[in-house]
Amino acid sequence: MDLDFVTLIPYLHMFWAGVLITIRASILAVILGSILGVIVGAMRVLPFKTLRSVAAAYIYIIRGTPLLIQLFLIYFGLPSLGLNLPAFAAGIVGLSINSSGYVGEIVRGGIEAVPKGQWEASQVLGLSYIKSMKHIILPQAIRNMLPAFGNEFITLIKESSLLSTLAITELTMVGQQVRSVTYASFETFILVGLIYLFLTSCIGLGLGIVEKRWQVS
Amino acid sequence: MNNAIEIINLHKSFGDLNVLKGVSLSVKEGEVVSVIGPSGSGKSTLARCICRLEEINSGEIRLYGTRFDNKQHSNKELSSMVGMIFQQFNLFPHLSVLDNITLTPVKVRSFTKEKADKLAKDLLDRVGLSDKIHARPRQLSGGQMQRVAIARALAMEPQIMLFDEPTSALDPELVGEVLDVIAGLAKTGMTMMIITHEMLFAKEVSDRVLFMDDGRIIEDGTPSEVLTHPTQIRTQTFLKRMLAHFGEQLTKDTSGKDDQYGS
Ligand SMILES: Nc1ncnc2c1ncn2[C@@H]1O[C@H](COP(=O)(O)OP(=O)(O)OP(=O)(O)O)[C@@H](O)[C@H]1O
Ligand SMILES: [Mg+2]
Repeated sequence: MDLDFVTLIPYLHMFWAGVLITIRASILAVILGSILGVIVGAMRVLPFKTLRSVAAAYIYIIRGTPLLIQLFLIYFGLPSLGLNLPAFAAGIVGLSINSSGYVGEIVRGGIEAVPKGQWEASQVLGLSYIKSMKHIILPQAIRNMLPAFGNEFITLIKESSLLSTLAITELTMVGQQVRSVTYASFETFILVGLIYLFLTSCIGLGLGIVEKRWQVS
Repeated sequence: MNNAIEIINLHKSFGDLNVLKGVSLSVKEGEVVSVIGPSGSGKSTLARCICRLEEINSGEIRLYGTRFDNKQHSNKELSSMVGMIFQQFNLFPHLSVLDNITLTPVKVRSFTKEKADKLAKDLLDRVGLSDKIHARPRQLSGGQMQRVAIARALAMEPQIMLFDEPTSALDPELVGEVLDVIAGLAKTGMTMMIITHEMLFAKEVSDRVLFMDDGRIIEDGTPSEVLTHPTQIRTQTFLKRMLAHFGEQLTKDTSGKDDQYGS
């Protein structure tokens, strides 16, 4: 079998545009998803029962249903409630909400992994709940969360390929477009796969550096 | 004058398990009280109730006349009243020794950073760790960690200090340095309650020894009364078992202070 990557050269600018959209979508989703996820995760550990149950239910539903269905609900479903989101916006909202469920669990896990003795020492030394959280628990919890958080970013980049189902011309969509004109299916998707691998490797690398620096300080 | 600690008929249970079954106790200002007793007798639970780490079921705990056994006082108010030293030190691993000590004076007592630093330096000097001021907790030995924990607690200038087996997690050769610091503190007139298995130390340093068994204080007297002439069978049995570790010294009435505690 002959692989002919040269066929793809005229389309490289399309791949480039697709990569940019993938990156933009992932970054937006990781930011929004983290903000939402931190709120959900905080609700999971705060000493209020109702909040905890609401957050638990949210996480349960998000993690128990496919991202694709969540995207379809937002893009195809919400218009029937009068809420028409453009494809890209719907995609970001879907990815962010999906990510927030996982980030919420990461945040909860990170906070709960801080030994109980840290809370007790803080309390006895006079720190309020909020101050204990801010000065003692969260700084340690964030360190616990970092690896899982990096994994979540990596997952997000990969799952952003589902945005192609909303006809957003991110990397995977570009791949389908190029394939349909060049018929070089194998070459196209090998290239697409390699680009994803490159992106996720960058995150992995960056994360390693951050973790190391954090350990030293 | 009010007692530093006044406990009246304290009951505490965890679910079905009754841990404290009516504990009453008065500790005068400046008194050093050691608490001994078998594992599971409720010593830690008693200390944890006093510093409000456990909610009590019934009874009263008064510190200098004020009830602190409910949610009416902030952590801040409680921290100026009572400090606690844990078996596992519970230093903040992400902060330097200096920041471990200065954090709560700054955040709780609203000290300026300069004032807190000065206080921390004085306290580190007192526990003999001036050279470790910029170290991280994980770079310290257990004995050093516990001394930092003591300095950290003292930085809140509490009226009362509680120690829950402060040397139980330490290698034997590190026990002495921590006990020396605690003994030094006892001499300053601080009101202290020390839960310990170091019988010789309890005997040397305390004004009173309590023996707890099965959720009750069953013996309460001077060190020589409780350790040398216990009246209760259970105390005698407990001490006999301890004697295997500490030899003759415990039963002899030693006069004159000795710097060697225990093993
Ligand atoms: N948070 C808790 N939940 C349930 N049971 C507990 C809890 N804390 C303590 N207990 C139980 O209460 C009893 C008394 O415990 P406590 O820690 O006060 O004993 P202790 O006298 O300090 O013993 P030791 O010498 O081993 O430290 C034990 O049976 C223990 O298992
Ligand atoms: Mg105990």
